[in-house]
Amino acid sequence: MSKLVLRRLDRNNEEMLINFGPQHPSTHGVLNFLVETDGEVMRRAIPDIGYLHRSLEKIGEMVQYPGYMPYTDRIDYLAAMFANEGYAIAVERLLKIEVPKRAQYLRAISCELNRITSHLVSIGTMATDIGAVTPLVYALRERELLNDLLEALCGARLTYNYHRIGGVAFDMPEGWRDKVLAYLDRLDSSIQEWDRLISTNEIYRKRLGGVAVISRAQAIDYGLSGPNLRGSGVDWDLRRDVPYGAYPDFSFEVPVGCGWAGVVGDCYDRYYVRVLEMAQSSRIIRQALEKMPDGELTAKVSRKPKPEAGEVQSRIESARGELAYYLVSDGTERPYRLRARTGSFMAMGIIEDISPGLMVADLVALIASLDVVAPETDR
Amino acid sequence: MSITTSQYVGNVRDTVKSFWHGMSVTLSQVLRRPITIQYPDRLEIPVQDVLPPRYRGFLEVDTDICTGCQACERACPISCIQIEVEKDPANPKQRVVTQFDIDEAKCMFCGLCVEPCPTGSIQHTREFEATQRSVRNLVFRWADPIKPFPVYKVVKGAPYIPRAPLGSRVKDLLAQRSWDAVGTSYLPPEPLKPPPPPPVKPPPAAKPAAPAAAKPAAAPAPAPAPAVQPDEPKP
Amino acid sequence: MAQFSFAFPKPGTKKLLVGATLGAALAIPALLAGLLVFLVPMVNKPLLDAFIREKLGHVPATWVGTQWVYAAALFLAGIAMFTFAAITGGIFSWYERRVAARIQSRIGPNRVGVAGFLQWIADAVKLLFKEDLVPGEADAMLFRAAPYFVVAGMTLVLVALPAGQAIVVADLDVGIFYILAVTSFIVVGILLSGWSSNSKWSLFGAIRATAQVVSYEVPAGLAILVPVLMAGTLSTQGLIRAQGGWPWEWFFFRNPAAAVAFFILFISQLAEGNRTPFDLAEAESELVAGYFSEYSGFRFALYFLVEWANLWIIGAVATTLFLGGWQIPGVSAQTWASVRGAGSFPAFGWWALQFVSLGIFAVKTLFLVNVVIWIRWTLPRIRIDQMMNLCWKYLVPAGFAAMLFTLVWQMVATWAPIVEKITALVVFAATVWVTWRFLQQTRKNVSLIAHERVDLSNW
Repeated sequence: MSKLVLRRLDRNNEEMLINFGPQHPSTHGVLNFLVETDGEVMRRAIPDIGYLHRSLEKIGEMVQYPGYMPYTDRIDYLAAMFANEGYAIAVERLLKIEVPKRAQYLRAISCELNRITSHLVSIGTMATDIGAVTPLVYALRERELLNDLLEALCGARLTYNYHRIGGVAFDMPEGWRDKVLAYLDRLDSSIQEWDRLISTNEIYRKRLGGVAVISRAQAIDYGLSGPNLRGSGVDWDLRRDVPYGAYPDFSFEVPVGCGWAGVVGDCYDRYYVRVLEMAQSSRIIRQALEKMPDGELTAKVSRKPKPEAGEVQSRIESARGELAYYLVSDGTERPYRLRARTGSFMAMGIIEDISPGLMVADLVALIASLDVVAPETDR
Repeated sequence: MSITTSQYVGNVRDTVKSFWHGMSVTLSQVLRRPITIQYPDRLEIPVQDVLPPRYRGFLEVDTDICTGCQACERACPISCIQIEVEKDPANPKQRVVTQFDIDEAKCMFCGLCVEPCPTGSIQHTREFEATQRSVRNLVFRWADPIKPFPVYKVVKGAPYIPRAPLGSRVKDLLAQRSWDAVGTSYLPPEPLKPPPPPPVKPPPAAKPAAPAAAKPAAAPAPAPAPAVQPDEPKP
Repeated sequence: MAQFSFAFPKPGTKKLLVGATLGAALAIPALLAGLLVFLVPMVNKPLLDAFIREKLGHVPATWVGTQWVYAAALFLAGIAMFTFAAITGGIFSWYERRVAARIQSRIGPNRVGVAGFLQWIADAVKLLFKEDLVPGEADAMLFRAAPYFVVAGMTLVLVALPAGQAIVVADLDVGIFYILAVTSFIVVGILLSGWSSNSKWSLFGAIRATAQVVSYEVPAGLAILVPVLMAGTLSTQGLIRAQGGWPWEWFFFRNPAAAVAFFILFISQLAEGNRTPFDLAEAESELVAGYFSEYSGFRFALYFLVEWANLWIIGAVATTLFLGGWQIPGVSAQTWASVRGAGSFPAFGWWALQFVSLGIFAVKTLFLVNVVIWIRWTLPRIRIDQMMNLCWKYLVPAGFAAMLFTLVWQMVATWAPIVEKITALVVFAATVWVTWRFLQQTRKNVSLIAHERVDLSNW
């Protein structure tokens, strides 16, 4: 691909080819973009992925069903709970297990807490990429407080490994519920402060509004999902439309981009949908803590499950869009094939087609607004 | 792109208003307490003591209550636990653990080994600081092959299983080793053996030749040195 | 909730360290003030003449060595100003990091000396010992020369920049015009560094910086015209003398257009100094480090020296033009003359007043420096087309309007001076009220966050 680019550039000699990455401050991990620019304006940006490939899908064929759970943490290290839950649901479908109600509630709580941490990183790094460093630090501060809570729940701050096939690993520790409620109070007021600090900032709105617009049709065509899809005005959320786990029990709204700072589907919409989703996650967690039923934490599962031969798929609403696992079992204790579909990988595909005509500074905003995380792209 | 006067004025007003709020938010941070702590040397309480009890730090094995069932070894997805159980030569009825190695450098701290343990012998501790110059020093050897420990037999009806205080053994282990200790080297490669003597019995006349033939093969290292010498006079 | 504990310095700090830091913290500003006041006899021709006549025993008009004494005095003054810039830049680097840390809910550098005060020395020493790397494909001569252009542009500004009643190296007749001219000298260095680095990111940064600095010269010039029209002189000292000590005697308050011009000038200076929100040239999230991406060691330190010394220049120019400069409230030109005495060497009281005027100038400048730092850690960066829009569509028309308004205003003020006095009081009162509201808002922000309160511990 790069050879083709170089030949074309040599002919008219007006454009410049820049390697945007792999070591670049705003590529969110190890990504590379081959950027053709004419001065400040980009001709196109070609994503070049694979720097973080760890063959996680192949590893899935080598370890037993329960042993793959810690590996799912590594698929997306900012939102490990979702990867845990998606894998657990897939194996449960393969084994035809019903998850106890309390475990489902704990899954919902842990996932929504993780959604908040993930979105905090997303909006924080976005502010940094636009040039304001301080909001990132505030976002990370809120995230650290939440990481403390997740650490108390499952023992780790990043690679949680909390979910198990058939349920969850631990119950809530003593006093944890009150701490979470106190934190959510703080979070709700922090989001308002965040809005006053950066979301309503005129420079910020002008930098993101009307930039890199992804139309509704384009978003669907390219398979975008999650906040990126909702930012383009498509009202689609798996938690509500294809409910799983405990989500039918909660009432929440699905924020959809409506052109807050210009056009529907611009960077600002994708950004602000995330801010609003954090408030909705907080709402879900409050409901879940209130309605928490008693009961078992895990269903009865053998230590070495041997599902019948067959194939299943699970889809959940991750922080970065739809996270789907496809599992094929051949009746042994290891999967025959494991495939993970992640939101970031799909989001990478659209960059090449959206980038022409953007400025170099807008490319940074586009990458940040799609919330691309390199390990999830490469797996 | 042309804009109307009201948009023009509105832009200026929005800018001033948003700067007002933004600047007051950042200024108000000066009045709050910084969130950061000064790890590791300026803490009132060591950080290990403020971690939650479920924290997944280094694995610790209480060898006194280990049943040698190897459930943890089987549960580990990356095989960082290596256990050898043998029969005690002195007492054939007693099984002893001659090797219980946990490679903490390889461990991904997932906690899957803790769950199947019948006695709670293997546990995550809150210790996480073990900087080592040699990564091989992070292999924690809980069993001594010279003095293997006997496996524990759960007493039926016992109200509880006595376990050493969590973390005490890891602390002992870490205290034994300085951070720049020389690591155990890789297992030395098998020395090049001379080709085994042909099975046919050599005639007695060839006897003195055999040690002479073995000599250059036994000491291959000095051999390259003379090979360099002819090059030296060249320049 | 943590207990309120304010122990400074932290218990257990070594006494020697505390002493060294406190000594440095007191001695360095005192040294700087002394250096600046030391300039006065150096650059004052009558004083030098008196020195030659009374101490050396020659007639200045006819003695051969007179020119040499003048030259030596100017040389010493130049060294003093450069030392001042270097040390101020260094201290600002520590100060900005501390302030940024507090704003970002961090503690900041706190290991080298008490409160990390000696951090800047440690950083400078570290950078001096680093390898001075020149990329293989770079144009080595231009690459090496570029930082000196930048430093020269910064240092030359200090020549005409006043810091006290008699503290200025050269009170040029075209002072402010000279400052505007030599500021653009920095662009040459930036362009050279970007071009000679032979790196695409550096070139990007250099071209952005050039476009930015050249554009923002225009609104800056227009904004400077407003106080120039009001004072009727281009000399920096003349501009200050046209103002008074009390706030309502400053140009900022005396003319509504001047307040607008102040903000135009301030924004333009942020752009010319490549400070956020105009740090496009060194935008780390886009261009890695911009035009100095390839620099290391001492040359890298020079860029940062200029960046922080520029903080003082930004504040000092705005103070000179709009905020009354070194004027002491209640001390008029007659007071200065009477305190000086009739002798060829000024009396002690005059020297004391020089220190006071220097202090007042420094306080005003440092306030603006704080604002610049505070803006940097609040606002995001604007895009290059928006930067051009802001310059040509907002600042330039507003600058023209302010200038035209000032022309009319000066006629009104000459015709009825009372209008100017009332306006000054009203604008001053409005400023105080806005500041009060702002502080209230700030205090409220803390209580708006659940489980948060004012806590000044953990420095």
